Amino acid sequence: MPEYKGMVQPQRATPDDMRKIHIEPVPDELKPEKAIEFLDQIRKKFRSFVMAMESCTKCGQCAENCHTYLGTRDPNNIPTNRAELIRKIYKRYFTLEGRWFGKLVGAEDISLDIIEQWYSYFYQCSQCRRCAHVCPFGIDTCEVTFIGRQLLHWLGITPKLHASVGAAMERVGNHTNLPKPGIVDTLEFMSEEIMDEFGVEVEFPVDKPDSDIMYIPSSADFLLNPYTLMGAGMYFTYIGANWTIPSTVTEAGNFGLLFDQYWTQRGNVMRLLNAAQELGIKKIVWGECGHGWRAAKMYIPSLADRPIRWPITHIHDEVADMIRKNELKLDPSKNYKPVTLHDPCNYVRACGLNDNMRVLMRASVSDFREMTPHGMDNFCCGGGSAILFDDPEMYQRRILLSKKKAEQVRATGVGKDGDGILCAPCSICKAQLYPMVEEHELGVEVKGLIDLVGKALVWK
Amino acid sequence: MSAAIVVNGVEIELDEDGFMIDPDLWNEDAAMALAASEGILELTEDHWKVINYLRDYYKQYQIAPMVRKLCQDTGCNLKYIYELFPSGPAKGACKMAGLPKPTGCV
Repeated sequence: MPEYKGMVQPQRATPDDMRKIHIEPVPDELKPEKAIEFLDQIRKKFRSFVMAMESCTKCGQCAENCHTYLGTRDPNNIPTNRAELIRKIYKRYFTLEGRWFGKLVGAEDISLDIIEQWYSYFYQCSQCRRCAHVCPFGIDTCEVTFIGRQLLHWLGITPKLHASVGAAMERVGNHTNLPKPGIVDTLEFMSEEIMDEFGVEVEFPVDKPDSDIMYIPSSADFLLNPYTLMGAGMYFTYIGANWTIPSTVTEAGNFGLLFDQYWTQRGNVMRLLNAAQELGIKKIVWGECGHGWRAAKMYIPSLADRPIRWPITHIHDEVADMIRKNELKLDPSKNYKPVTLHDPCNYVRACGLNDNMRVLMRASVSDFREMTPHGMDNFCCGGGSAILFDDPEMYQRRILLSKKKAEQVRATGVGKDGDGILCAPCSICKAQLYPMVEEHELGVEVKGLIDLVGKALVWK
Repeated sequence: MSAAIVVNGVEIELDEDGFMIDPDLWNEDAAMALAASEGILELTEDHWKVINYLRDYYKQYQIAPMVRKLCQDTGCNLKYIYELFPSGPAKGACKMAGLPKPTGCV
């Protein structure tokens, strides 16, 4: 069972799984020493990390602002304490007072137990940045757990979920192992569904050369989120776009951000740029995926190994622009059920995608009710950074981690009559919330935002 | 902690989540053994309809179909699929059909 000395841990990748993603696991007896070596390398590169290590005054502001702590009440899930799991090691090896006075100043020797503690707690952090948002010093625990997860990865400790996604991306170009015939078959099915439900002819071109727009959907849309694909297809058709979906990168996500910002994240960026070049496109439009949009918008410029010739935008920003220019006719009464919006953390706290979601929402639904708090103050769904683990102990943890979200949804009253809509425009949020709205009995159906736009379109 | 089941004298290796490692070793008896491990005591005609549909689709496309397509093509709505396979279409039905565990944000 994935538990270590009373701590929950996600199922981990086997040594063979790790080798598929280019990591030779470090033997246990060498792990402590290697961890310090890696930490020394990495601290020299990330000022954000050093700042987090050096500056915390333990004011406690972060505690009640972390949904993981609120759900579990485990003191190690208070963001400052979570960071302390690595800070005490940093102190011991890289500060004078820690080297001289050790435990007296809160420094601690590295050990396998500490590394296992990192694995447990860094994968209970959703990297949602709510603690960063309220920290008087601007300490971003997300940066700390990014680095903690990177160290673990180099040691050979990565959740099976993350490792298999990394391997699938490298093998086929998406997280769900969809080969091109499966992509095409699903998109043809989507065309039929659109014709049946909306009476509109929509084609989903795959790998069409010389397209203007390369649309990057989340591969989860092909298995679980039909209306997100349909909404995007209808939107592009409505505006008369010359667009295509690349079969080599049918993936808006980039799990590299979440466990390996060196090889995996960078590799995925190159793959995207190659696809753009080969298809001769003019613009890249991103689908509904929170962490993936952050990885695209905020990281591609610094990870790319060549000049980027294409604007990269999010489909919500594209649609908002069209709404502002009055080029879309939308009828909000087509979405008449009560709707609330779950703000994906990466959109609102890492990418500035906040107001535009509301532009789409107001234009597409007739009964929109904001959560409290919302926008950049919103709480995570509990699945952030893909902690979508389904082994029994971790699944129970996901229920605790979504407790705050459930309270928020309930307070809006949208699910009171059992016919509400919880709009969660991100694949991780959707995957987390599909089962969680049942676990918490919220009386809502989970949908994307472009799903609602597609439904509201008024065709000429 | 991978495990194995023995079906008709053949050992079938399973991953940590109980999914078959080699989908080619699948047969109806294996499906029944996997169903038993999920607490499903009897496989009805509708169970087989879903399982066989998933196998055929996987054979052709090396991937499970969109859940909506599965529902439409088998005539079983999602609620009914959950009744048949309490762990759901992916973690229940796909497992019994010998498909690999779905990855990604699913």
